[in-house]
Amino acid sequence: MHRRTSLAFAGLIVCLASVTGCGKTPPAFFRPNMVEATKQRLTPDQEKQVATILLAMFGTPDEPTCLPETGLDEAKLRLAAGPVRSDIVGRKNGLYREHCAHCHGITGDALGPTAAFLNPYPRDYRPGVFKFKSTERADKPTHADLVRVLHNGIPGTSMPSFALLPAAQVEALAEYVKYLSIRGETELALMRAYFELDDEAQGKLPETREFLVDETLVAVADKWKAAAEAEIQVPPMPADIDLVASIAKGKELFYGDKANCVKCHGVTGLGDGQANDYDDWNKVIVEIGKELASGAASARGSSTAGMSPDELSEHRAQLAWLEKFGKVLDGDALEPRTIPPRNLRHGIYRGGRRPIDLYYRIHAGINGAPMPAAKGTVPPEDIWHIVNYVRSLPYELDGELGADKPMLARDRF
Amino acid sequence: MSRLSGILWSLVFLAVPVLGVATFAIAPAIDVWLPQDVSEHGKAIDGLFYFILALTGVVFVATEVALFWFLWKYDAAKATGPATYIHGSHTLEVVWTIIPAATLLFLAIYQMNTWADVKMRRPAMAPSVEVVARQFEWRLRYPGRDGTLGTPDDLFLVNDLHVPVDEDFLVQLKSMDVLHSFFLPNLRIKQDAVPGMKIPVWFKATETGQFDIVCAELCGWGHYKMKGRVTVESREDFDRWLESQYARQEATQPEPDPSTAVARTE
Amino acid sequence: MPTCSRSNSSTTVLVAFVVLFPVAAGCRPERVVTPGADAETAGALRATLVSASSGGGVTAAAAATGTGWATLKGRFVFAGTPGAPKPLVADKDTEVCSKGGMKLLDRSLLVDPSSKGLANVVVFARKTSRVKEASPPSTPLLFDQKQCEFLAPVFAARVGQPIDVKNSDPIGHNTNIAGSDFNQLIPAGGDTIYVPKAETGMPTMVTCNVHPWMKAYMVFRKDGYVAVSAADGSFTIPDLPAGEPLEFQVWHERSTGPNGAVGIDKPDLKWTPKGRFQVTLQPDEVKDIGTLDVPASAIGT
Repeated sequence: MHRRTSLAFAGLIVCLASVTGCGKTPPAFFRPNMVEATKQRLTPDQEKQVATILLAMFGTPDEPTCLPETGLDEAKLRLAAGPVRSDIVGRKNGLYREHCAHCHGITGDALGPTAAFLNPYPRDYRPGVFKFKSTERADKPTHADLVRVLHNGIPGTSMPSFALLPAAQVEALAEYVKYLSIRGETELALMRAYFELDDEAQGKLPETREFLVDETLVAVADKWKAAAEAEIQVPPMPADIDLVASIAKGKELFYGDKANCVKCHGVTGLGDGQANDYDDWNKVIVEIGKELASGAASARGSSTAGMSPDELSEHRAQLAWLEKFGKVLDGDALEPRTIPPRNLRHGIYRGGRRPIDLYYRIHAGINGAPMPAAKGTVPPEDIWHIVNYVRSLPYELDGELGADKPMLARDRF
Repeated sequence: MSRLSGILWSLVFLAVPVLGVATFAIAPAIDVWLPQDVSEHGKAIDGLFYFILALTGVVFVATEVALFWFLWKYDAAKATGPATYIHGSHTLEVVWTIIPAATLLFLAIYQMNTWADVKMRRPAMAPSVEVVARQFEWRLRYPGRDGTLGTPDDLFLVNDLHVPVDEDFLVQLKSMDVLHSFFLPNLRIKQDAVPGMKIPVWFKATETGQFDIVCAELCGWGHYKMKGRVTVESREDFDRWLESQYARQEATQPEPDPSTAVARTE
Repeated sequence: MPTCSRSNSSTTVLVAFVVLFPVAAGCRPERVVTPGADAETAGALRATLVSASSGGGVTAAAAATGTGWATLKGRFVFAGTPGAPKPLVADKDTEVCSKGGMKLLDRSLLVDPSSKGLANVVVFARKTSRVKEASPPSTPLLFDQKQCEFLAPVFAARVGQPIDVKNSDPIGHNTNIAGSDFNQLIPAGGDTIYVPKAETGMPTMVTCNVHPWMKAYMVFRKDGYVAVSAADGSFTIPDLPAGEPLEFQVWHERSTGPNGAVGIDKPDLKWTPKGRFQVTLQPDEVKDIGTLDVPASAIGT
């Protein structure tokens, strides 16, 4: 009897050890962009080729490398990458995993363990799209833009401020974000390149420097390099501006047909206008969802009775693909969420509250979000009027809203 | 049981007060003692702390020594006679009930003034700053030139609190999401931030310098990351800093070099 | 009995496994596993990539093998029965968008009732060695929107050719071309010029974020050899370079093929599942590749 108990106990220990593991933690790895890989219907061999090319170009999360064409500083990357530790001179390493990875994920895919619980979701760096920046809509952010977001955090979201980190650490983190973004965009380009291949290529990308570096990587990296020179030139707000008149003019524009802010931000400015749209990151998933639903309905609806063997195998492949895509979405995408227009009476400005920040947002729109650009149709002085009006909104004496004193919506909680 | 084991157990129990006292004696030398106090009310709080420490220390040592003495004296291996049973001593019970009760009552009355200073006698002034705790940072709002919160000249900052020296400073503490605990160790302030409540916290800093703001909330994985900084500086420096921050907030042109925007510490 | 005791303990282990494994593995949906990188190949590849020699640079354009110009024609026919188009949910600005009780309909599958012609199929040449008109036309193409609908559901233009993005409605719109630098406010009755700077590859989606049901597609090609099939399903691409093998790409919004590619059964044109076919044209030829049957299974419901 005694022996049986001890055997069971030993078994339990062995089992516990096998489940919890008693060796070293496996090394961190970059997760492939499964949504795009499946969308492009890559074969396992093609997925492997992409992973191999990316390993050659960018290394691993513990040992990042970069080609000189990326313009990245490898020393900074090493400071940010790897597990959290101190190096031989006591300098903190592994900053990305200490501060960022739990939301943004090791891969920068916004699938970290806490990501699903946040609203809005953390940023996925892989499409290379950033919202809060001083450049035109489609341009990359400048290095200073990334540093500013790290300094100020993003009020209204779960992104906190890292202003009190030493400058070198903030620099390293900004560089690492760029690295993950360039890596992610290169991965997307490679996965999409399979479709563009000619039939002679037999589904294999050419592993030449011309194709991988000159055509693919440089195209991505050059946009980042160009950003430094692409800052929007902001005509100064007239120094003698009459603020009251400007706010009144801004209000007129806000509600007018030209700037049309009211359509989304609502007649009250509470962000209750057009509110059932998606941002670009979520829209991808929404569109795939529709495509899957339509494909599934059409595949299941078609009768297999009259099919030739070829058609039948194609039909089966299609069904298998649809099923796989469903599984990929379960594990590699979060439930899509709509993007509500900003409530302008909160006085919380995600991209910064400086007048120039609001000018950038209105002038260039917000990349990745529905917010369109006003440049071209709204002249700069009018944009300044809108800026002044928007900045006055949290403090507006507004009987319509039932308040009889300066009201800051945030004061109500 | 041998005599040796009796001696051993007595000594083990004697080690408790010896090591206990030694820990407190060494602690200040290895810098795990109270942090530098830069607040006006801190002296009273520290005084209370030392007083209670001394009081409990004496009782602790006395109890432990008594325990040791009993173990030593009444070792089973040494005692030969039969044990004597007593019903109890009414006088003794009255004494050891009244003495602690009186001590506690004394402490309750003795600390009242300090408590009132820190938690009740709020200075008659508008809030000097609003601190809003959120997951996971401290959002700050200064009332600006007009001294009133909720007006267009408010100054918004994060994690970097500045305070003028030798002046009453009133914080309006709020939380945006969950419980946080606003802890300024050097200013001897610790106050929970409760969602839905505006809690006043006040202090008067007596020395300039830079000190930590931490979140003392235990539960949850992110509170330890809510490290902020409080800078105590002269009124002139404070005003200059406010003006410069306000000018940055009202910028209509890009900053020449944003990396110089915030001074940082290692 | 040793056998008995052994079997009992292994049952215990099994039960412990079953209980502990889900605890350790968590409740997250299992993620699809993929083959990892090949470290050895990657090492060798890295050596190639870091080598400074960048022989030849970007691939040279295909060499011209012919002279003269020719035209390609054809007609797409839908071989199935299209269902009635679904009405769109147009719940904003109804005084303009559903003027006079008019209902906006889903236009993603337009089939001509009499000829069965499939409209809005995009056909473009993948690579050409020569272009007849060296520079894109400078006259702007009109891309208009009226009653909360883009007038052209599928719109083709040459890179560099100006597009006059117009709003003929009495309300404001915005026009957001996915993957481009263009997401612009278009005031009521106003317009703005957009010059596409890069090729799209497959057509890209155009939306109005104020009225999210508004949807169109745009395709930009550097050589301008692109056509969108008309209401009767016919398309014509003129001025193609003759004498060289041309490969064309075919796309439809609702196609179930990869990236919207339309794969049909047409061995004589070497039609592939990636929606590509090949022809070589003779100078001054007007080649009609005839009626192209798009099976119902190629179009999603």
